[in-house]
Parts: sequence; C-alpha cells; structure tokens
Amino acid sequence: MILAVETSCDDTCAAVVGLDGVIHANVISSQTVHDRFGGVVPEIASRQHLEQITPVIDAALTQAEVGLDKITRVAATRGPGLVAALLVGFSAAKGLAAGRELPFTGVDHLHGHLAASFLNGFDPPFLCLIASGGHTLLARVTRPEGPAEILGQTLDDAAGEAFDKGARLLGLGYPGGAALSRLAADGDPAAFRFPVGARMGGLDFSFAGLKTALLYKTRELGAEETARRRADLAAAYEAAIVEALMIRLRRAVQTTGATRIALGGGVAANGPLRAAVAALGLEHDVPVPALCTDNAAMIAAAALHLPAQPYPTYLGLDVYATGERPLAAPA
Amino acid sequence: MTVGSATGVLALDTSTALTVAALWDAARGVDAEVAVDPPAGGRPLHAQALLEAAVATLAEGGGSWEQVGRIAVGIGPGTFTGLRIGIAAAQGLARALGRPLVPVSSLASLAASATAAEAGAGRFVLAVIDARRGEIFVGGDGLVPSVLAPEDLAERARDRLAVGDGAVRFRAALEAAGAVVPADDSVLHRVSARMHCRLALNAPPVAPERVLPCYVRLPDAEVAR
Ligand SMILES: [Zn+2]
Repeated sequence: MILAVETSCDDTCAAVVGLDGVIHANVISSQTVHDRFGGVVPEIASRQHLEQITPVIDAALTQAEVGLDKITRVAATRGPGLVAALLVGFSAAKGLAAGRELPFTGVDHLHGHLAASFLNGFDPPFLCLIASGGHTLLARVTRPEGPAEILGQTLDDAAGEAFDKGARLLGLGYPGGAALSRLAADGDPAAFRFPVGARMGGLDFSFAGLKTALLYKTRELGAEETARRRADLAAAYEAAIVEALMIRLRRAVQTTGATRIALGGGVAANGPLRAAVAALGLEHDVPVPALCTDNAAMIAAAALHLPAQPYPTYLGLDVYATGERPLAAPA
Repeated sequence: MTVGSATGVLALDTSTALTVAALWDAARGVDAEVAVDPPAGGRPLHAQALLEAAVATLAEGGGSWEQVGRIAVGIGPGTFTGLRIGIAAAQGLARALGRPLVPVSSLASLAASATAAEAGAGRFVLAVIDARRGEIFVGGDGLVPSVLAPEDLAERARDRLAVGDGAVRFRAALEAAGAVVPADDSVLHRVSARMHCRLALNAPPVAPERVLPCYVRLPDAEVAR
C-alpha cells in the first residue's frame, strides 16, 4: 500500500491507497483559520499544517486499519504550491519513508488532479478540465505516467477564485463560492450578461474582466438594487464562469477530436458545469468531491504510475513553488 | 532512557542557516555530527541536506536506524520554515521508527555548549539567534526566549558571554551593551546537534504531534490585525 501526503495550500491531507488503486483512507483536514483574512495566509497555513500533519497521517492509517508495516511506498506533493506549506508535508513524508527505508515518489500537484479520475477506473486518453480556487487548466492526458499536454491555463484568476471574488462583491463573505452557487439556483442566469471572453481565441482562460464587470454592475445598480437582485446577479455571474470554461472545453474537443472528458478541482462540484459537460454527450468522469478538491488519494494515484525512488536516493529532494517543472513529468 | 538495545540519540536542528544532525551513542562510542552550511550568499539547505546529514551520522555508528533509541529536534526559536522542515522530518522519523521524540530549545542548547566549553570564565551566557528584520531571539541562563532589537538588550547583556549567529551579526550592539562576544569563527556560535543529544538523553519525550516550533513571533497577518 502507498501512503500519500498533500499540503500544497490550506488542506492537510493523507491517504492510504492500495497498489491496485483501491482507496482505503482519504483524510482531509481543511483550515478555516484563513476565512477572517479573506484569503490563505502562507505562514498561518504552514503553522497549521505542522500541527495537523502527524494526526492526519495517523488518522489515515487508522481509517485504513493498517499499521506502518503494511505501507510499502510513500508519496508526497512536491509542488507547485506554497513553498512553506509544501515543505511540511514533504519533509514529514520523507522522514517517514527514510525511517522505514521505503521507496518514495515526489508528485506534481496538477498531475495529482489529473490522476484523480484514474481512481474511478477512468483511464487515459482523455481531456481534463481542472477548475479550482488555485488552478484552471485544460490538459490532454494520453498516458497515466505523463507528461500531460497543457492546452490552456488561466492568465489571471482561477475559476474558483472568480467564484469567491464574485461572492465577496455580493456580500457573501469568504470563501463564498459555494454560497454564490446556492444563491444562483434561485436567480435568472439571463437577467444580466457578463463577459465570457468568447472573442479571446485559443484555449487560455481569463476571469479578471468578469469580476470587474460584476463590480461595475453592482455600482451601476446601487446597494439597494444589488441586494434586491442578488440571486439574478449570482446566477448570471455563475453562468458566465461556466460558459467561459465550456467555450474552451468545446474548442479543445473540436481541435483534439477527444471523445472522453474528466473534470477535476473544487469547481467540478458545480451543478451547472456538470450539466453543461453532460450535455456534450461525450463519455465523461467527475470524481466525488473528496477527490476533486485537494486530497492525497489523487497524489497516490499519480504516484502509482510514476517511478518510485529507492531509499536513500530521495533524501535530498526539495519542493518547488511554481510550474517550473513540466507538468506530470516524473520527478 | 532508551528503547531496548538502541542506545543512540539522533538529533536534528534547522533553526539557523546551518543544517545539522548528530548521533550520540555512548554505549557504542559513537559521537558523530554532520553540519551543512549554506552555499556562500545562498539559502539554507535544510530541505535537501537534513535527512542526508542524519543518514551520514548513522553511517558512523554502523549505518542502521536500529541504533536510534530516541530522536531530538531543535525547536528554535529561529527561521520558521527551517524549524518546520526539521520538526516535520523529526515527527516522520519518530513515527517511522516508533521512537520517542524530544524537543530541545536551540537557544538553551547554544547556551549549554558555551557553558560546557567553559569559554566565558564563569560568565552567564546569552544565546542569540538572528531573527532577521534587524531583531534577535535571545535566551540562555535564566532568560525566557524573546525577540527584540539588539539596541534594546540593555542590562540583559551586561557581562554575559554572547554566542550564536545573532551575536556575530550584531556584535557591535552586543558589545556596546556590555556583552563579551567570541571571535566570529568560534564554534560556540554554531548550534550543536551533539549538545541536543546530551540535553535530550534524560529529558521527557513529547507526543510527536505536540512537538512544535518555539515561534516567539506571531505571524505578520495576526500582528497586522
Ligand atoms: Zn489543487
């Protein structure tokens, strides 16, 4: 069995996954401490990770009903992410592997998201749309071991970030993306028109203009009218995010001839997005929410297809902040 | 107290720019320390060098983790990211080996090394770790770890032997406050994982998840509120 750890942002995660891909435990400890700051504070996230990492690993082993003696391999996220946060999980995982002289695999976080669908038995080739608070990208996955081909990425905000920023403009607090979606269910998506970047060619995403459009619309309406029409504003705003994602996804399907689609990231839980993907009529996979948001089972899933470095060759590995490494390339 | 026949104490410290590990096993006559300095003008090598240094010390005792009966880790105060790398790795090792984990104050260890070396001619020791931003973490004989500007040391420094990377960096301010600072290249300024081993031998272990950095400082975001 493989023990995997993920601490790239504000979730402390550990999972135990069989070499056959069966998930025995997938523990996620989400930090809520950042809400009052209106965003993730790296130093606070890192402090929390250190307080949580050993209890979370122990919880995963307990849930899986296995001792460390049953673990034959360790994996951890190397990047991209918040360096100080990554270092907590990565160092703990390396220490755990070293003490038992186990093989170790450093995993790219985005490769993890792409690999979440493998756990559902949904194997490449497929097109994958990852949309979350941290990333928005479209990739063509041809082989489970990678590297995946990145077709498009966001040029500014991530899709989940756009949800949260819109929620804040509508007075829904932070993080308010989910609250915005709930509110949108009672609104008319056609009540307002927000930009979806249809004239922007290619497969890259941009959400900064959308957020600005909502800001101007609320100013134009005034506080009272904005409050009265909050549900319509939320519905139209959500529809614009979904359409912006779908425009690129449809283009990618067209240009690549792909017939299978996987969704990932926290935004994959969004109802209208799932409905729009289903309406394409293609074979598709949306992992359960615990596999869409940041988690360690997906890191294990990616590691299962990557080479494991034998002890002690991995002891000198470090983490990395940004996508300076080719996506899904073995460490 | 050690576990079974494993009489060795493995210690790690990443509170300063130094990455250091030591293995002390009096019963087997092992007293190994491996320290890795950052490259000239470069960043500390905590993440890359720590476990390699630990394994290198093991090699001197026969190369096996079996000889490790307990693990000690420096909890600072010092560089936040460095401390977390060391403590997370130590928690992982302690879990992996099923051995007790002992937190050691890096400041107390610095002070203990200076006292043991009898370098201060009977002076009390002021342990000083560079806290960046023009400040220092200070501790040592009878002092609670705190963070302050070197100019604010006043009476706390008078006639003390000041050691640590902060004492080197702020030599002028410390000497002005009446402290005695050994030469810049003195070994007394370096955190010694060997001393951690000694301090940890009879200290009570703490559950691994409860071994956390001595931050002293709040996160900036909390301070700004
Ligand atoms: Zn993610």
